[in-house]
Amino acid sequence: MKDKSLRSLIICLLGLLPIAMYLHLMSGQIELSFSSYWKALFDFNPKDTYQVLIREFRLPRMVMALVAGAGLSLSGMLMQTLFKNPLAGPYVLGINSGASLLIALSMMTGIQFFQSNFGLIGTALIGAMGAGLLMMSVAQRLKSQISLLLVGLMFGSFTAALVSMMESKAGAESLKSFTMWSMGSLQQVTFEQLPLILTTFILSVILVFLAVKPLNVLVLGEKSAGLLGIHIQRTRLFILGITALLAGLVTAFCGPIAFVGMAIPNLTRILFRTTHHTTLICGNLLIGALFLLGMDSFIQLLEGQFSIPLNAFTSLVGAPFVVFLVMRKIK
Amino acid sequence: MIRIHHIAVGYHQVLLRSEDIQLNAGKVYALVGRNGIGKSTLLQSLTGALPLLEGKVSFMNDDLSSLSRIELVKRVAVVESRFEGIEYLKVKDYIALGRTPYTDAFGQLTTQDWEVIQQTASAIGIRSLMEKFTDQISDGERQLCAVARAFVQETPIILLDEPTAFLDYLNRQKLLNILIALSKNQQKCMLLSTHDLELCLKAELPLLLASSGKLSLKEHFNLEEVLFEMSKP
Repeated sequence: MKDKSLRSLIICLLGLLPIAMYLHLMSGQIELSFSSYWKALFDFNPKDTYQVLIREFRLPRMVMALVAGAGLSLSGMLMQTLFKNPLAGPYVLGINSGASLLIALSMMTGIQFFQSNFGLIGTALIGAMGAGLLMMSVAQRLKSQISLLLVGLMFGSFTAALVSMMESKAGAESLKSFTMWSMGSLQQVTFEQLPLILTTFILSVILVFLAVKPLNVLVLGEKSAGLLGIHIQRTRLFILGITALLAGLVTAFCGPIAFVGMAIPNLTRILFRTTHHTTLICGNLLIGALFLLGMDSFIQLLEGQFSIPLNAFTSLVGAPFVVFLVMRKIK
Repeated sequence: MIRIHHIAVGYHQVLLRSEDIQLNAGKVYALVGRNGIGKSTLLQSLTGALPLLEGKVSFMNDDLSSLSRIELVKRVAVVESRFEGIEYLKVKDYIALGRTPYTDAFGQLTTQDWEVIQQTASAIGIRSLMEKFTDQISDGERQLCAVARAFVQETPIILLDEPTAFLDYLNRQKLLNILIALSKNQQKCMLLSTHDLELCLKAELPLLLASSGKLSLKEHFNLEEVLFEMSKP
């Protein structure tokens, strides 16, 4: 495919984004006019129930769908390039589990600091980074791509066991909030948290763009990249750091969301047919955001009849896709 | 070009020792020896990936250990024994990665970079492959691409770790002839490890022979002699 058609594909996706955002906002159970959205943003009246609904529920949920979809896809892309393995992703390699473990620990201890925004992001980040480093050290001793997946799975089971042991000791209140969190939801973010989340997200995206050169060379594997002058240790830490930042951010505020981080980067690569990371980064951001906006719009539409946890829904689509990938080309 | 000064290589214990050896520009040297004798270990040590246990190596009078990472990759390029191809990576983009030591922080290629890439591809005869994906061409073609990538790195020295191992006889011959011609034309010093003794004999390559823990240079040789040396414990 030529560079021109890649660019038009990106522009197409970019054009779809506002439409998906609009549809997501409109797919809630209560119909709201465009003017109340306008007022909720720029001329907020706290007595108007509709405007409160928009500010407290609709907008944060829409922004979170966008950030979570884009962020998870991007962190998945980083991991797939770093591990040189199309099956890598924040969920399957236990990055989410690492974050979950620390978040469970902090929620159930009930210490106030951990319930704050920074505390939450901080613990998730540390957990995600720890799991990432662990996986990195294991990956270097593995020969086949599929074994990494197994190790990630085992790490997930192990942390899940630790978490359920903690749950049995926890109080009813913290248990409830953790269980709600672990089902994965885009609904738990408040309007006031959005600036912090968006800032962290945009910062991470800028950092990813700074890593384009090493990422493009890492496609050849770490050994060859080193022989072309790339500082492997530094690059590895930098990329794992951004991965943890993105995956940790999303996990902290939305709970674990399965498979998006693994499936979307593969879909992007198949669609764009390139290994050039400037293109792949844009593709992952857009497709990831579109995918989760679409998914969550669907969930919102169904909410009147029955509610599906987001995590269950993404697994429903993601798990068959992974099977498809394994059958397609994995060694 | 390369001066190997009484070195000892190995991971923890010494695997291979060398006498004082000088490798010159414009020549292809064949590194031969039995499996496990330490050929790959020697090549790894020459790339700086593995520290020398004793002695020193210098490239154009600069000590290997004193060179920074980027200075080193501008002097030495490496071709590995097998490049398996990568999905959706085009040949031209693969070769272009050889320019990595020269590009800016974002890896942008200049028109000058592309000129080097096109010229190298022409010299090796793979211009027609440029738009193809690396996982959709043959093993022989891929190996030529790997050589092209090492050439656009514009290093005076190229190390090749069994570059012919996965090729058929005719492709081995073709690759070797290309290497010999290019090393003469561009005055490069190449060192390739190989088990193709007969091909090296036919091409009259100078040999770096590794046997019974010792590395020595043999400018002229016959097959019986080398086989006898190699069979020593």
